[in-house]
Amino acid sequence: MVVFIQQFINGLAIGMAYSLIAVGFSLVFGILRLVNFAHGAVYAFGAQFALVIFVGMQISIALAILLAMVAAGLLGVIIDKTALEPLRKKKSMPIANLITTIGISHILVNLMTIYFGSQTRGFPALFSFGMIEVAGVRVDSNQLMLCLVALILMGVLTIVVQKSKIGLAIRATEQNTKAASLMGINVNFVISFVFFLAGASAAIAGGLIASHYRIVFPAMGFDAGLKAFSAAVLGGIGSLPGSIIGGLIVGVSESMAANFLGSAYRDSVAFVILILVLIIRPTGLFGKKAIMKV
Amino acid sequence: MKKKTIGILVVLALVAVIFAGCAQGAPQAPAQPATPAGDAGAAPDAGAPAAEGGNVRIAVAAPLTGDNAEYGQGFLNAARLQAEHRNAAGGVLGGRQVEIVPFDDANSSEEAASIALRIASDGDFAGVIGHFSSGVAMTAAPTYNENQIINISPSAGHVDFSGIGEFIFRNNTVVVVEAGAILDIAVTDLGHTRIGILSIMTDWGVSTSDVIMNLVDALPGVEVVAHEEVMEGSPDFSPAITAFEAADVDVVISVSQYSTLAPFAIQYRTINPEVDILGFSNAYTRNLIDIGGESVERVRFPVSFFADSPDPVIQAFVSEYIAANGYSPSALTAQAFDAVGILLDAIDAAGTTEGEPVRQMLHEISHNGVAGVVSFDAGGDVMRDFFRVVIQDGEFRLTN
Amino acid sequence: MRKDFIYIVENFLSRYKLIAWAVVCAGMLAVPLFGFSPFIMRMFIMIGIFAILALGLNLLTGYCGQVSLGHAGFFAIGAYTYALMKINLDAPFLLAMVVAMVISAGCGFLLGLPTLRLSGNYLTIVTLGFGEIVRMVIINWRSLTRGPLGIGGIPAPELFGTTFTLTNHGFYYAMLVMLALTGLTCYAIVNSRTGRAFKAIKQDPIAATMMGIRTTRFKVLAFVLSALIAGAAGAFYAPIIGFIDHNTFNFDISVLILTIVIVGGMGTMRGMFLGAIIIIAFPEVARFLMTYRFVVYGLLLIVMMRFRPQGLLGWKSRLPYNIPKAAKKQLEAGA
Repeated sequence: MVVFIQQFINGLAIGMAYSLIAVGFSLVFGILRLVNFAHGAVYAFGAQFALVIFVGMQISIALAILLAMVAAGLLGVIIDKTALEPLRKKKSMPIANLITTIGISHILVNLMTIYFGSQTRGFPALFSFGMIEVAGVRVDSNQLMLCLVALILMGVLTIVVQKSKIGLAIRATEQNTKAASLMGINVNFVISFVFFLAGASAAIAGGLIASHYRIVFPAMGFDAGLKAFSAAVLGGIGSLPGSIIGGLIVGVSESMAANFLGSAYRDSVAFVILILVLIIRPTGLFGKKAIMKV
Repeated sequence: MKKKTIGILVVLALVAVIFAGCAQGAPQAPAQPATPAGDAGAAPDAGAPAAEGGNVRIAVAAPLTGDNAEYGQGFLNAARLQAEHRNAAGGVLGGRQVEIVPFDDANSSEEAASIALRIASDGDFAGVIGHFSSGVAMTAAPTYNENQIINISPSAGHVDFSGIGEFIFRNNTVVVVEAGAILDIAVTDLGHTRIGILSIMTDWGVSTSDVIMNLVDALPGVEVVAHEEVMEGSPDFSPAITAFEAADVDVVISVSQYSTLAPFAIQYRTINPEVDILGFSNAYTRNLIDIGGESVERVRFPVSFFADSPDPVIQAFVSEYIAANGYSPSALTAQAFDAVGILLDAIDAAGTTEGEPVRQMLHEISHNGVAGVVSFDAGGDVMRDFFRVVIQDGEFRLTN
Repeated sequence: MRKDFIYIVENFLSRYKLIAWAVVCAGMLAVPLFGFSPFIMRMFIMIGIFAILALGLNLLTGYCGQVSLGHAGFFAIGAYTYALMKINLDAPFLLAMVVAMVISAGCGFLLGLPTLRLSGNYLTIVTLGFGEIVRMVIINWRSLTRGPLGIGGIPAPELFGTTFTLTNHGFYYAMLVMLALTGLTCYAIVNSRTGRAFKAIKQDPIAATMMGIRTTRFKVLAFVLSALIAGAAGAFYAPIIGFIDHNTFNFDISVLILTIVIVGGMGTMRGMFLGAIIIIAFPEVARFLMTYRFVVYGLLLIVMMRFRPQGLLGWKSRLPYNIPKAAKKQLEAGA
């Protein structure tokens, strides 16, 4: 039983990490109906960048992650402006967008490998005040803080989207781009802002996750990206609370699979759940009914 | 309609480029060995008769891009360093210069198969050092063997690799011997009986953990109480650690590279600072300590190459390597250095770069390398002795 | 009718269709006579295999409009089935290939079923998940697939007592035969009732339903056909590469196949050949870029999508619509 609870808590922690990445997929998908395959690469970039300026500028790691947030946010905006906006203007097929984001991900990951090397590097810990032990179940301070910071960030994002003026614009654009622009909303700015938010949240996720596991490497975005993406779809892509729930489900089911089936099976679980959910409830758990079925 | 015309022109241009590229790869005439486009530094010795007097060319085929680029770059750096040594000492075969030609396989079987045929078609390579992963190496090896090109992999760990053919060698330790050394550390040096195994899901990880379990079966009183497998590159080990703790292990043998061992040690030691962790020699690199810090203290390894060894040859290699590349060599890098070394020795001793005589010579000679004495057995594998190393105060130290 | 460059080319090709075909076929048959090195011959074979894969995916994506990011899964199923049949049961070449195709098509049928409920992006996601699950099954079903150890020493195909190898050009001619069969099959499908239904579904699913086309049935059929072809390609690929493991069929391969279809031009058949030539030859041709070659690959994709999203050969036909003979007769009789 203790083992079971321990595995459950492990699952919650990793699930929180997934949901932080998932939020970026969700934001972009919500507004553009675009699966952003470059998101995993932006996440890896955020972590790498934080490490590089931490080492290069001798600043605290928290500050470095904040700077990385800005950098990754800007990277998101640049990706949108240079590669995706022209496609929107031409009203290209969705598949062209998809291939473009895959191309961007190729470029980012390979450039990172060239400039930072492919090796795994150490990443400093953000928090370390030991461990909390209750009735044989251990919670690491890093796990705890990862969950806490992630929850706070989700709260902030939800407030931004639900309560602020720009959030209103985002929701309006999400529902109907044309109508939003007729109401005087600068749709291009809104989209750029969403890319900024997605990039910044990816960098925070990158920083937090890297400091939890204490490692960074250029290819870290691929697996994490795919799983976070499953989490986003699972919870209902385009919905913020959905990303959290989706992430937690993926995380917990992974550690349960590791517990009951063996570690070897943990990585396939995310995809099996993903496919089942999509078939049973195509919009995900929290998704709005937006699918046109023929 | 101009756009359409431009489209057609683009198509034609691309096709033209591709045919140009193909032509580049094809050997046009025996007198002009095709220079692979990848090698910027190669001096094309066109016109010179290729038979005698040209450079002795050795291919390094390894991942120079992608997720495993660090290992391929290590091979290439080591090979270049070895070549520099030989060239400074007057070359091989009475004054011929050694030339290292890099091929990037991006750790993909598809590209490796193509590179192998390219090297075979070229017909002017004295040997191939490489292919990093066993899976990739095993796709390329049959081609080398068929064309009688010596192939020495410094890293492939698959049990069947060296058995592919008589031209296929491996300068990596045989798993059984290394696993035996690790178990000896665990059981004799540390006195543990409850063993946990953490292995990565690669061919090497799977076959090595099988070997360990078979060896443990033969040891009375010792048992493997937990075996957890993880994907390489996945950073979360909490389910595995919980399972180890539940099984009450004394010692965990980590069948992985440094990139798995370091975060595993960090995560495990925060939960249980007492647990002993043992690693394999391919996790032996400075990066391990850089990442792991205090958490990798007391981690033990058997290693064939020890960078802090007082041996002047090793010291010279390590300091030259750091001077050239800015970081210290790992065990695999040292094995690549020795692989080029023994190949060049065999070429010198055989007096030719022809495959067959060099292959026979490789079995006869032994090479005093930086990672111990290299001498191939009949199957093309190397037997070597191990130092036992422990991490103490952020440094690797010998224990015996 | 404006007489631009494309019109001239197309008109020329359609007027001298037979001659053009004869030249191309003769050229392809004669390739081994030029004495190319095995390296170049292998590249031709790989281009052929990926052209076959692209033709298959083109049925699904180019004609029926369903994007698949999991085609490496079918490719893997074909390759593993062939390898295991050969090694464990010593099955003859054609039998192993047929079984590979059947199993792959069966999986295609299963993957096609979600089209009952899903379309667009969501379907793409399911195919992506399928590709990853196939990989995971390969890793974990060790008693069958040997897991991460992979399968080595896959025997070469044999037919009528001769074993195909690279050096006796058996692989090359077998590839040509397969390519021709696949090409003809695809051509026949595209120009049949089924093909027209596919195109209708791609253009406008609702209108297609209104016209009485059972869209789900045709979508599933497109998945099955596409998987069948990918399975055949996999069965042929396994003995050529000789060693397969889970990393041979990763997400990059799925992307690669889709890229060929898009770069060549979705919904064109000749585009698949050109796309395969360009995309497969690229890593070899671009070796001089050293470590930057995959950066350039990414850039090419982006530029391509930006300026020619319809693919290199994806222009609309400038020739007048070719009326079928039967229809012509009817018209003449009516007039």
